[in-house]
Amino acid sequence: MNEQHIASAYDRDLDAIQAMIIKMGGLVEAAIIDGTKSLETRDVELAEKVRAGDKVIDDLEERINEEAARTIALRAPVSKDLRIILSVLKLAASLERVGDYAKNIAKRTSVLAEMRPITGSDATLRRMGREVQMMLKDTLDAFIHRDAKLAEDVLMRDQDVDQMYNALFREFLTHMMEDPRNITACMHLHFIAKNVERMGDLVTNMAEQVVYLTTGSMPEENRPKGDRTSYISSSKPE
Amino acid sequence: MNDMRLIERAVDMNDIKISARNVQVYYGDNHAIKDVDVDIADKTVTAFIGPSGCGKSTFLRTLNRMNDTIASCRVEGKILIDQEDIYDPRVDPVQLRAKVGMVFQKPNPFPKSIYDNVAYGPKIHGLARSKADLDEIVERALRRGAIWDEVKDRLHSPGTGLSGGQQQRLCIARAVATEPEVLLMDEPCSALDPIATAQVEELIDELRQSYSVVIVTHSMQQAARVSQKTAFFHLGNMVEYDETGKIFTNPEDPRTESYISGRIG
Repeated sequence: MNEQHIASAYDRDLDAIQAMIIKMGGLVEAAIIDGTKSLETRDVELAEKVRAGDKVIDDLEERINEEAARTIALRAPVSKDLRIILSVLKLAASLERVGDYAKNIAKRTSVLAEMRPITGSDATLRRMGREVQMMLKDTLDAFIHRDAKLAEDVLMRDQDVDQMYNALFREFLTHMMEDPRNITACMHLHFIAKNVERMGDLVTNMAEQVVYLTTGSMPEENRPKGDRTSYISSSKPE
Repeated sequence: MNDMRLIERAVDMNDIKISARNVQVYYGDNHAIKDVDVDIADKTVTAFIGPSGCGKSTFLRTLNRMNDTIASCRVEGKILIDQEDIYDPRVDPVQLRAKVGMVFQKPNPFPKSIYDNVAYGPKIHGLARSKADLDEIVERALRRGAIWDEVKDRLHSPGTGLSGGQQQRLCIARAVATEPEVLLMDEPCSALDPIATAQVEELIDELRQSYSVVIVTHSMQQAARVSQKTAFFHLGNMVEYDETGKIFTNPEDPRTESYISGRIG
């Protein structure tokens, strides 16, 4: 199939809007890395940078929405072009949300910096953040190269993130029961873990969207899910 | 929210009006239509789209033997309407065209009164027994053409005095006056302004209640708006034929994709 439109300005519109997604994705990736890094190193300055950077991400989402609306109104996109527009709208919304979670981690970092550390959890959180960031990177690569296989692969990896979250959930419960002075820190850390787990879910949605963009249909809903914390009883953690 | 709309859009592919099998059309040595197989449903708007010269109009014209008027044109294969072969030597093309009406690109009213434009077909086919009968047929056709209210007070003024959009609706009224079962439309809106186009499209949607409508259009957006089924023609082949929503969101063939999204086919 010919990749170019007869109206070359149409191609430039579509390219520009996709470039904005890539840019937004890059910023969100950096926010995840810096957010979890600031947490691990209790680097308040870096955390502040992440908080300030979220504004840029939000502005990009708004611009993507405007450009998408404009393209729909002026070009009446169909088929693959229509799927690009529908997808960028959803991708932008998910990226914005992931960015918000990263910002939230940075916010809690400034509070946690004042408290004594909870052993072990920071490294797991960093690994979780790293995994989600890799999933996001692969999703964006899959988006750029229209690689449904890579996107499908991302779908399978969300359960690793879920499992890390399960482990942390139990760990935090244990710490809190051992010593009530840990409760404040553990509550904040648990929200952070939950936020990273939610990031994984959003990235998974994005990967599904890339499959839709590439193939024209959503992937079948049979991917493994690993979040079991809804069933963990607080009274007797293992 | 409104699932009536889904039912309304549904096409009953068990109710086939026109069946074409292995249709080939030649203009002299030029093989214009290659091996087209298609089933066209009753009470459905079917759109033919494709670049200029792809054969969509040629194929449309085989459906009421309009190509018979072109000396160099040869049609092979089978075209059945209601299971009857329309190329059977016993079929009278004039009778066939009463059953399979046609509306052309440019409104072409006869240089007669509005009334006579519509009355002409029913008269020559002997559909009216009396003047009162004919009056009734004319009114019904003009109402179906969604133009009655605009012309009822000047039925005896010339049809050519109407605006372009009104003329086209008059031609549609003329086409439905003989109670056809199939209505072929060859770019019915390409000479009309957007408002007249919208009126004709609304009319096409209403005509769907009673007829099998086949429309050739250069405007893909028009095909998307008015049809339930769309066929894409390219270089004499029918490349893809599917539900209109499917064609415009996720076509199977890369050539269809290229064409509908405005890339070079």
